[in-house]
Amino acid sequence: MVTLGDYLLVSGLLFTIGFAGVMLRRNIIIIFMSLELMLNAANLSLVAFSRFRVQPDGLPNYHAQVFVFFIITVAAAEVAVGLAIIVALYRARRTTHVEDIATLKF
Amino acid sequence: MQAAVLEISALVLGIFLLLCEAFAGALDKRRLAYGGIFGLGLILLASFFVTAGPLQPDAVGFWSFYAADPLALFFKRFALATTMLVLIMMLESAPRIQSGLGEFFALPIFTCAGLMWMASAIDFVMIFVSLELVTMSFYVLVAYTRRNPVTLEAGVKYLILSALSTGFLVYGITWVFGVTGETSLARVAAAFSQPNLERAPALFGAVLILVGLGFKIAAVPFQIWVADVYQGAPTAVTAYLSVGSKAAGFVVLLRVLSAFFILPQVQRLLVAVAIATLIYGNLAALPQTNLKRLLGYSSIAHAGYLLVGVVSFSGAAVGFYLVSYLLMTLLSFTVLIVVANSAGGEEISDFDGLSKRSPFLALAMMISMLSLAGVPFTAGFFGKFMVFDAAIQQHQTALVVVAVVTVACGFYYYLKVIRAMYWESPARAAPIAFSQLSRVTMTGLMIAIITLGVYPQPILRALSDASHPVTAQR
Repeated sequence: MVTLGDYLLVSGLLFTIGFAGVMLRRNIIIIFMSLELMLNAANLSLVAFSRFRVQPDGLPNYHAQVFVFFIITVAAAEVAVGLAIIVALYRARRTTHVEDIATLKF
Repeated sequence: MQAAVLEISALVLGIFLLLCEAFAGALDKRRLAYGGIFGLGLILLASFFVTAGPLQPDAVGFWSFYAADPLALFFKRFALATTMLVLIMMLESAPRIQSGLGEFFALPIFTCAGLMWMASAIDFVMIFVSLELVTMSFYVLVAYTRRNPVTLEAGVKYLILSALSTGFLVYGITWVFGVTGETSLARVAAAFSQPNLERAPALFGAVLILVGLGFKIAAVPFQIWVADVYQGAPTAVTAYLSVGSKAAGFVVLLRVLSAFFILPQVQRLLVAVAIATLIYGNLAALPQTNLKRLLGYSSIAHAGYLLVGVVSFSGAAVGFYLVSYLLMTLLSFTVLIVVANSAGGEEISDFDGLSKRSPFLALAMMISMLSLAGVPFTAGFFGKFMVFDAAIQQHQTALVVVAVVTVACGFYYYLKVIRAMYWESPARAAPIAFSQLSRVTMTGLMIAIITLGVYPQPILRALSDASHPVTAQR
């Protein structure tokens, strides 16, 4: 029997992998993928919470599932804008590595 | 008239301008900006005729997401005024935009709609969606001059760190939902005050949400993006980012915290963040030689003062501080755009001897710098005064001591700019040209700063019934 804890564990793992990817990887495309992973971790736990928080009438709590749709839509829009910026960066600099992007001192 | 009309008309205005841009081929693109300023002015006028009321606790559907209380209306007007002033600044910096001038003028109007929705958002879903509308239009605006590698770099940094903060925010909302089963702030607050609440996951979610919002308002330790993005973005966008985005972040923070302050650890955490932000912002601004970067660090410092108001539960102090911050920041950025157009750079040394080349610009910059530093008889002084007063009433003595010390520190770097303008000799003598509209705007901002410094009552009256962001919800 899969419990709520199992889902939360997987979602926590996804979130950690995503965060570690943002912090450790050096390629902007990979960093961007890791960011999407973090959003999907939230989606997974939202659906799990929705399924396990059964309301008095026996239905799942649909607030969370509707929120998931919003997150998916926003993430898609973010990818569209984000990839456009990264492509523009690649055209200007011929690189997508963070070490090469240091004109502004950090 | 329903308050939601304001956002919808802003969206319609934005789409209308885009259609004009697409179908009226030979149109002078500057006319779009004038149209945008005029349209936003009309919406600002209309905002005085909408019905504001207390929150309805039993509202359903859209109205359980959306509040039209006095606080929301006040910040809607704030967003509209900011966007109008930013459009004027964009007109002044238009010669530097290589392509897509029409969209450059249309995008801030969509951002404005997002800012207005944020002011009204009382549900986590609404907060998330409106926040993303604002952030995403800023992704495009920050990276707008995409042939300039520095701007592009700023855009990528803003993209990555903003998306990271969104990830934290969403994951935090998830956990708060998991504990309470609700996304509406009022119902989350009610669930948090139940005695059988599971503390640890609730606190975990709350902290993650605060991390996400901390990025948006540039609080330490989530401020690393600020200096680079502020320096790299087109100057008008930097001004918009530092005023509009920050103000909306603080409205959301005020609303969210009214639910979270039921957890006692949250307030202690915020006091620590406020102290760190004050110290970091002011110290890091000291050695800067680039004015835009200096204003970036100064905006971190101002986020610290605003946080002092937030932990003292004073919506009125935060509101007044934001108004004064709007006036002085936009004034300084307008002068910066004009001077950078003629000098080609944004270093403080480009301001050398400005008083001889253009006494008007030097006076405007001096007033905004004095107000940012918090000299009496300017709006900035009253803003700081009210924030400190609220903190003393809450017995946050340590916080006030740190804040006062950092104000003294702030004097050094703000006066550095004034020294360059009045005591150094100019590198060249040519007078600086700028449009009549900018001159009128700067004069208006100067008068407003001085007036609010001596007679702050109008804003205080507008804020008096907006100071309790959620009492009606309980």
